[in-house]
Amino acid sequence: MKRAKKKKRRTIPIPVASMGDIAFLLIIFFLVCSEAVKDNSSLAVALPTSEHVKKTKASVVAYVTVDENGEIYFDNNRVDSAKDVEWGVRALLTNTISDDQRHVQFKCDKSQSKEVFQPILQAIAEAGGIIEAVGEIEK
Amino acid sequence: MKKRRSSDIPVDSFSDIAFLLIIYFMVATTLVKVKSITADLPAGEKSTQAKSEKTPIINLRGGEMFFSDKRVKIAELNERLAALDLPNQDGEKRVIMLEAAKGTPYQNYFQALSAISANGGVVAIVEDE
Repeated sequence: MKRAKKKKRRTIPIPVASMGDIAFLLIIFFLVCSEAVKDNSSLAVALPTSEHVKKTKASVVAYVTVDENGEIYFDNNRVDSAKDVEWGVRALLTNTISDDQRHVQFKCDKSQSKEVFQPILQAIAEAGGIIEAVGEIEK
Repeated sequence: MKKRRSSDIPVDSFSDIAFLLIIYFMVATTLVKVKSITADLPAGEKSTQAKSEKTPIINLRGGEMFFSDKRVKIAELNERLAALDLPNQDGEKRVIMLEAAKGTPYQNYFQALSAISANGGVVAIVEDE
């Protein structure tokens, strides 16, 4: 009887030489595309609620925050009045072409009264910004 | 004759390091997506024109809300704004005036603003004289 010939196992090498290059390319891609967060999430702000709030896709050019003490922050920097916000937004929007580039995020503590927030809303509008008022979904 | 030492840089572990970095960034990254409402308030010269009788107005007085001088709750306000069919109106007919008395909290203002925005209205802020 003839003995079955043992088949020789072929080794299939996976090419891993370029893996490192691919990985570094990915890192560089993420580094270039990432945008540093300028959000004032560290500030004490209790957001208002509404059933109409939804996730927005608009890219924001400036961040305006009013905390629980009524202090105003423009792009993380404390400012004295609504007029400073208007100048800041106006300066940022000087070269804007489309409406997509005019969105200004507005975060305000829900307990603040009209005397505090309304001048800021008007200042943003006067400077040509579209207000993105941040809130939470009402449960 | 002296034996030459090989001066190759060891690059074998580079890919491991790179992938570790990628994994670190993927795990540590949080995507910031906030929920908001969009309000494009009209800018420009302040109008001293008297309020038109036909333009709907929302008055906020402290914790209370009035729509064309009738006291409403937020759900009712939504219904009344939806009944106006604002997205299909043109120009000035889409304008809803928003007036707030002194001391009105932002919570109330935000709810009124979001109701107008969600129903396709254009907000016009009424200032104190």
